[in-house]
Amino acid sequence: MATSILDLSAQKALEGADSDDLRLVELLRTGEAQAYEELLTRFQQPAYALALRLLDDPSESADVVQEVFLKVFRNIASFRGQSSLKTWIYRITVNEAHNARRWFFRHRRREVELDSEPEEARNWKDIIPDGCLSPFDVAFEREQHVMLEAALEKLSPIFREAVVLRDITDMSYEEIAEVLGVSLGTVKSRILRGREALRAELVGSLKDRPAPRLVPKTAE
Amino acid sequence: MSCENLQELISLTLDGRLPEAERENVFDHVRVCRECGDRLSSLQTQRAILRKMAQAPVPADLAARLSVLASHERERQLARVSLGVRVRRMAAKIDLAFENLMRPVALPVTGGLVSALLLFGLMVPTLSFAHKTTGHESHADDVSEQLSRRDIFPATFPTGQLVTNPYGQTDDDDDSLRIEPVDSMPSDFLNIVDLTIDETGRVVDWTVVKGVITADMKSVILLSTFQPATNMGMATSGKIRMVQFAPSVTVHG
Repeated sequence: MATSILDLSAQKALEGADSDDLRLVELLRTGEAQAYEELLTRFQQPAYALALRLLDDPSESADVVQEVFLKVFRNIASFRGQSSLKTWIYRITVNEAHNARRWFFRHRRREVELDSEPEEARNWKDIIPDGCLSPFDVAFEREQHVMLEAALEKLSPIFREAVVLRDITDMSYEEIAEVLGVSLGTVKSRILRGREALRAELVGSLKDRPAPRLVPKTAE
Repeated sequence: MSCENLQELISLTLDGRLPEAERENVFDHVRVCRECGDRLSSLQTQRAILRKMAQAPVPADLAARLSVLASHERERQLARVSLGVRVRRMAAKIDLAFENLMRPVALPVTGGLVSALLLFGLMVPTLSFAHKTTGHESHADDVSEQLSRRDIFPATFPTGQLVTNPYGQTDDDDDSLRIEPVDSMPSDFLNIVDLTIDETGRVVDWTVVKGVITADMKSVILLSTFQPATNMGMATSGKIRMVQFAPSVTVHG
């Protein structure tokens, strides 16, 4: 169900672009250097976070984000302001991630990763704790993150998109409906079912884990 | 209110999309129903953790790639807007293509040029050029020129000069012997003999080039002394050509 990424005319515009968006788009059309910088500053991080949660692969997500911004820059002339810039960019990101996932499943599913884990490749600054949280809190939070990431990965892409757009990128139901190109009722239903599936997945993964066994021993 | 109906309402409550009255009903139910209470609190926690995932930092290499991409796309956009930028872009492209084309040959060409200059510089002192004199110069000029030529060309051609002759002074008019430079080739002479003169002016060897060796020639070979050739002012060996039209005396045996 690959929908056209850039054809927004068919979409019902729930919320048009605000004056700030229109000013930025106008500056982009005239080739203003500052506008390009502003666009990246505003949207590169949210777009990357969205792609990362939809794909679970940092390098794949980076490629997707690059492709997204290429499309944004190339097609800025066709942006009519019927939706907000954010919605437009997120919609391109969701579609690109969808295409990348399909491509991945077709071509690279059987590949074996030879690189080291991204966790190991992180900078020392990311690894050394800053002291704000206790080691227990850090470990607990980390554990929660890992479990939730694993649960998200198992979620069906349709529900996952809805949950990620709502809970991670904090978009309204109307914006999600516009990004995904579905009705408001469908959005509600997908978010509800996605959350429930995520919760069920988490509860299931907790039940599967064996409780630590403490066997008393006498000191020798 | 059943727990199944409440699933959707809890989700909507989390998103703040429920009217005040309905929300109160949900909270009332949650207070008495442990299962729904657990559901609400776990969904709240789940949402809080998901919110933190939004802060995923952009990798440095992606940020750099995006900056480069933005720069390229801006150039494209500018080229579309103005003709001047398009021309400048084209010129820059041609310039770059030319540079890329020339870069591989730049080093060999420079190296070749420098080595050619170096070799030429080294060879200049050993090169010799023929100087023509006009014949109208004064004696002083002549002498100075000779001196300078001696400085430049310290070697004289190793042509010998007859010093003593058993027959006395040779006469140019008769058919007797004549001494010529070794590189001359007088065609109308009958007998030609090349002599090798050592540094003392004596004949050490001879070669018949044409005809026969006559008695006069033999006398010259045996009895004459030559002015030896010089090189850097020092006497050295050289060659000379002896020619004769017709033998005046034929010696048999």
